Amino acid sequence: MIRRSFIILRRSLRKIRFKIGIVISLVAIFLAILAPYIVPRPQEGLGYVPRDVEARRLLPPSIEHIFGTDSLGRDLFSRVIMGTRTALLQVFIVITISFLLGLLLGAIAAYLRGLVEVLLNYFTEIFMAMPTIVIALVLRLTLGHGIHVTISSLIMTWWAWYARIAYVYARGVVELDYVILARLAGLHSLKILHRHIVPNIIQPLIAQAITDLGSVLLEAAAINFLGLGVQPGYPEWGVILYESVFYGGGVEVFTQAPWLIVFPGVFLLLVTLGFSLIGDCLREEIDPRLRRRWRLWF
Amino acid sequence: MTISLNYIFKRIILALCVIVGIVVFSYVLILATPGDPAVKWAGNPRGPGATRAVQLAREELGLDKPIYVQVAIFMYNFFTGNLGFSIAYKGLPVVQAIITSFMSTFELTLIAYIISVPIALYLGLYSALKRGGIFDSIIQPASVVLASTPTYWLATLLLLAFTISKISVYGTASPRLIAETEFNTITGSYLLDSILQGNVRVFVDSLLRMIPPALAISVYPIGALTRLVRVLVAESLLEDYVKASIALGVERGIIIRHFVVRSIIPSLVQISGLSFTYSLIDAMVVESIFGRRGLGSLLISALNTADFKIAITLIAFIAIFYIIVNTLVDILQAIIDPRVRL
Repeated sequence: MIRRSFIILRRSLRKIRFKIGIVISLVAIFLAILAPYIVPRPQEGLGYVPRDVEARRLLPPSIEHIFGTDSLGRDLFSRVIMGTRTALLQVFIVITISFLLGLLLGAIAAYLRGLVEVLLNYFTEIFMAMPTIVIALVLRLTLGHGIHVTISSLIMTWWAWYARIAYVYARGVVELDYVILARLAGLHSLKILHRHIVPNIIQPLIAQAITDLGSVLLEAAAINFLGLGVQPGYPEWGVILYESVFYGGGVEVFTQAPWLIVFPGVFLLLVTLGFSLIGDCLREEIDPRLRRRWRLWF
Repeated sequence: MTISLNYIFKRIILALCVIVGIVVFSYVLILATPGDPAVKWAGNPRGPGATRAVQLAREELGLDKPIYVQVAIFMYNFFTGNLGFSIAYKGLPVVQAIITSFMSTFELTLIAYIISVPIALYLGLYSALKRGGIFDSIIQPASVVLASTPTYWLATLLLLAFTISKISVYGTASPRLIAETEFNTITGSYLLDSILQGNVRVFVDSLLRMIPPALAISVYPIGALTRLVRVLVAESLLEDYVKASIALGVERGIIIRHFVVRSIIPSLVQISGLSFTYSLIDAMVVESIFGRRGLGSLLISALNTADFKIAITLIAFIAIFYIIVNTLVDILQAIIDPRVRL
């Protein structure tokens, strides 16, 4: 398994797209870790309003404020860079939990069969249909503001897709002779799941998870953009856009200060792009249908 | 045809089961989350009358009954369309508020798909036929960029561009025009209503205002579907019947139009159907930026007034729409593609 992963990684590294994706993601991770040490005003990045608000309101980009300032005089560069942290944190938590949940439930459904299979598939079907943004609305109304609203509403819908993929692959694996023999030999079910089923289904699932990184990032920012997730002032790209579009006076403000919507959006686009490029190349290597080199004969 | 009917019947039964599950779940979601909905419904009352107010709210929401009775009542009300009145849309019945908003969002998404599917088909087909060429090597990365562009950001940029160039695209239709022509929307879809009422000026105005948001929404389907079409076309070019017809000297255009494009249509229909509901959610966000009527503005006003009824009904409504679209797409695919029926 590990050797195959290395082969896939090495093959992908030949592609320029993959390299670009890796560079973008590494820069994003670097920025996320070192954010408080890089930015000039970490306190403002976290949402604290400076004392001299009036003097610093909506300043255009300059050497002192690389990305300009927002309507409360905060340094946009600090906010955007600090936002990398939140963005990666959200994506990481959502993908990890839904991946594990989906893997476990999908494998169990395929292994146990019977009523468990029917019920789990039924739930999967229901949760796949759930609109994330409206779930976020309900959670926002009951739980109040916070990053936990964004994260939990995303997990509630994303796990089902992993469960479905895991189930489809695991169904093929449980029919294999050695799994049946392991069962007959009296090997413990947990051991069969751990030793035989999970290693066989994990690869397509990981590829899917990496492909989904970008979509989760976009959707998390969309939830915050509608004001359903974190509070205004929080270092998050979606909410920075929200503040300038809905909160800080609407159209008049952001026509005066277009940098308020350009910079967070560019960061969002770039990081999403980096994730998608990586996921794309890995998928091409893992899925043999996509790997086939097409001959030019038509 | 008997096999086909059997298949359709099975799909519909399955869909109905899931719809019942969705309605039950959306109710349970309210009960399972911490915080008392009755307190919120009463508007977080304080002072001597607080307990009484919460008690009244609890009775009004039916929260004093056992859970299974509540679920049964909710389901009965949901399917008979009797869900009471919304707070967000002052006195309007919940179902009417949701359906009129939905129609508005739906027509916007539909316009976005009418723009994007032909473009995606053309770009994907062309880049697959010229694979390895300059066009292909531009389209390939461009489609990744398009598919990972945040729609709401693009919408904001478009609004910004139009506002700076003094072109009004804000709102569903110009308020002055509506006042002049005494236009009144019934279904919520401005295009449909203005055609039915023979109101050409409102029709043209609302169509023009629809283009910028529709463009923003169509970015994702253009990117995603172009990539899909490219893979599908390249796959179908390797099929034996295509090789055979090339060997027999069939004209190139006929091969492409009759064999290649036709063979990818079932998969294209399926994926477009799936991504349509995804774009509907996108449309909700974009709409709220452009200040249009629709599910997005409904969502925001439900948020501002803490309207639970709208929230849960909206969840159930969109989820059911998703299930219906999926089922329809599967059935449609069975009709187009005889291989599925087997």
